[in-house]
Amino acid sequence: MDTNTVNYQEEKKVYYKVLIGLLLLTAVTFIQPHMFMTGSTFMAQMLIAVVKAWLILMYYMHLKGEKLITAMVWFSLALVLVFFIIVIGIDVSNFQYGAESPITAAAEHGAGAVNTAPAAH
Amino acid sequence: MSKTYFDETHCAIGHPKSTFMQWMLTVDHKRIGIMYAAVMFTFFFVAVATAFLMRLELWAPGGQLIDGDTFNQAFTLHGVIMIFLFIIPGIPAVFGNIVMPLMIGAKDVSFPRLNWFTFWLYIAGCCIALASLFIGEGVADTGWTFYAPYSMNTGTNVIMALVAAFVLGFASILTGLNFLVTIHRLRAPGMTFFKMPLFVWGIYATAWIQLLATPVVGITLVLAILEKYFGIGIFDPAKGGDPVLFQHLFWIYSHPAVYLMILPAFGIMSEIIPTFSRKEVFGYRTIALSSASIAGIGYLVWGHHLYTSGMSDVAKTVFSFLTFFVAIPTGVKFYDWVATMYQGKIVLSTPMLWALGTIVTFAIGGITGITITMIGLDIHLQDTYYTVAHFHYAILGGVVFLMFAGMHYWFPLITGKMYNERKAKIAFWLNFIGFNLLWFPMFIAGYYGMPRRYFDYLPEFEIYHQVSFIGAVIFIAGLIYMFWVFFKGWTKGEPTTPNPWNATTLEWHLPTSPPPLENHSKVPYVDFDPYEYHHGEPVVKFNYETMQRID
Amino acid sequence: MGHEYVPEIATDREGNQHEVQGWQGDFYGGKLGFWLFMLTEVMMFGAMFLALAYYNALHPQDFLDASASLNRLLGGINTVILLVSALTMGLGLLKMRAGDVKGAKLMIWATILLATAFLVIKGFEWTAEYNHGIFLMHDKLLPESSLPFGQKLFFGMYFSMTGLHGVHIIIGIGLMLWLLKRINAGKVSPEHHLLYWNIALYWDIVHLIWVFVFPYYYMIGAGGATGGH
Repeated sequence: MDTNTVNYQEEKKVYYKVLIGLLLLTAVTFIQPHMFMTGSTFMAQMLIAVVKAWLILMYYMHLKGEKLITAMVWFSLALVLVFFIIVIGIDVSNFQYGAESPITAAAEHGAGAVNTAPAAH
Repeated sequence: MSKTYFDETHCAIGHPKSTFMQWMLTVDHKRIGIMYAAVMFTFFFVAVATAFLMRLELWAPGGQLIDGDTFNQAFTLHGVIMIFLFIIPGIPAVFGNIVMPLMIGAKDVSFPRLNWFTFWLYIAGCCIALASLFIGEGVADTGWTFYAPYSMNTGTNVIMALVAAFVLGFASILTGLNFLVTIHRLRAPGMTFFKMPLFVWGIYATAWIQLLATPVVGITLVLAILEKYFGIGIFDPAKGGDPVLFQHLFWIYSHPAVYLMILPAFGIMSEIIPTFSRKEVFGYRTIALSSASIAGIGYLVWGHHLYTSGMSDVAKTVFSFLTFFVAIPTGVKFYDWVATMYQGKIVLSTPMLWALGTIVTFAIGGITGITITMIGLDIHLQDTYYTVAHFHYAILGGVVFLMFAGMHYWFPLITGKMYNERKAKIAFWLNFIGFNLLWFPMFIAGYYGMPRRYFDYLPEFEIYHQVSFIGAVIFIAGLIYMFWVFFKGWTKGEPTTPNPWNATTLEWHLPTSPPPLENHSKVPYVDFDPYEYHHGEPVVKFNYETMQRID
Repeated sequence: MGHEYVPEIATDREGNQHEVQGWQGDFYGGKLGFWLFMLTEVMMFGAMFLALAYYNALHPQDFLDASASLNRLLGGINTVILLVSALTMGLGLLKMRAGDVKGAKLMIWATILLATAFLVIKGFEWTAEYNHGIFLMHDKLLPESSLPFGQKLFFGMYFSMTGLHGVHIIIGIGLMLWLLKRINAGKVSPEHHLLYWNIALYWDIVHLIWVFVFPYYYMIGAGGATGGH
């Protein structure tokens, strides 16, 4: 992309349009807890944030039309998402006390203390 | 006589006249790589000394030389130096810098001044780590893993170690960033991704891990510092925090970190095997893509370091399952290397000897890793000498051995001289035999229950420690001898031609040996694959002044 | 710098000429490098959000209560301030590229002003919180206080993340002052504006992080569950 050819008026219009969009979304952020999706405020807020982020990335950060960099951005976002899914989705959701685990409970009863050698061999 | 990169250089600031300042300010990737090597290997030997101190203490049960607290500091220092100051900069800092731009036909990396700055950032990190030895209560005694809550409560210099690790991590990130842009932007015309040498693929995959995984440990260290100084509570059970969260965050980086270590090493293997089999590599695409998939899957398996930390069975099972997967691309590489050697004309020079030795030692390291991937076995083997032997076989017997192989391979390129082949081979055998004597008994000791990070033990383990000690002596002798051979080679060795191994990749097609400052006389047009051999001879030949093909 | 650089030409076997991309004068490479750096910032703040979500999942009600007690008015004002500052930064870059160097500098000053206002308001917020006994190593955040675990963790992460974000704002102001210096020295111009481009990107990512920090901390407790303010 040659950033030296500038269509000043056109690009300025885009910036202002995005500004209006972002301001509107900010207003929605404040209205949402009292207006819609009130039972799942967290989800609604994150959704609004994602839309805002998309606008900022696409237009303010000129990501629109950048193929390689967009792919790299998707890759990192996917990575962060996977960490969230594994830690929160799997680990936290399956909290389990030691006594409930067949794996670790068996080790404690079976081998006795783990850190001694067998008597003679 | 034409000038080499030792005669002239570009500098970050001004045009200094003194040789010393020219080295301090150089932005030349080749010189920067050499400086990294010099500092890294100095620290390597410091860490070897701490290990030898521990082996001495562990010769017999009971305390003889040092007390338990000092022992804890010794293994922490050993780990911090070996991991953060040596192996993580490792092959990328040395050979990624020196060789990678040559392999793609570039004149330097994309950001040479950033490269210079990154080197000095690394030095700053080293200084901070060193300083922790001499201030206050001395080196941290938490182990290089700095687990909460002990790291929050101990009076030793944990914060300095964390700051050092943060700074060093930043250097790693910037190196990865530099290499990523270099590989995307500066490949010679015609060199598509699938015409790059496999070492470059290894560096590329590694750079992605350097870039995306390191920030996680960076923020973990910051959070640990905030916890220790400002009591934010996230790792402190007294405020509802969870120490296991620290482990999760720490290993989200530190597991991909081991792939960061091994992928460039595998890249070196993929260079040496075809050159010394005089044959095109078997399965170029699968080796290239396996590097990418190891980097990708490697992000998902960190929980196998937490099997005994109180995770649920479901989480343990998921991590175990994913960890088995990451072994598959590695197996593919091994298969491809052996297939490359099949029906090749094997030349058993020292680099090849090191590569073949590594196939043995890394296979042991990798397979014993699979053992402890199994949850039921890991419950017993976690934190025993089995684990210690596993990762030393993988890191020392894999990454470091291949680094040594690369040093022997690219020695003539970097220095323009050749070392004594016979003595280099003796050094290899000393290293190989000493290494196995040192580490193999630990598998058995660990199986019988010898715990790691203990400075004392029950009498029935004595024989294993004593055999290990003998191995350590032989291994260290081998290390010193190997570096002596290099030193003699550099100072008194025979000058060589630019392509003594008659290899195919672009770093061997330079007009002088050692290379000139601006690398290739002209950037070639790449319309050939990286390992084209015909009846044991390279297909592609160049006129080194015009870099036009003359075959 | 890149002014005297002439790209090399590589010739293939058919005689076709190919321009060699050198490391000098590589605008796209410079842009790519900075994007990669921003991805590291995403990973850093992402890991912090991970820790936050972890404790949120363990203490959902405490998080709602703590969130409800934050000052949404000040937080909202800061959101709008940062939003407008992203516009001024972007407009400044646009003006520079179009040749209006004076206008560009004005826009940078406007951005610096807005960024400073952001920090001042944050200062007011933190002072108010301190006076309510909520601050690091202070009163309600000490281990012995009766504040529930979830709230202690919420505020611990709140000060960490908004603090780190504030550090990035300060760095941003520093970068903008440096950019002004470079423009005055003639090193940044309509023909050579990579530095400006990258600093604008930096400011956008600082804004982007706040786009997620604000709702997660300030808004989740705003509505139904606790009545809100």
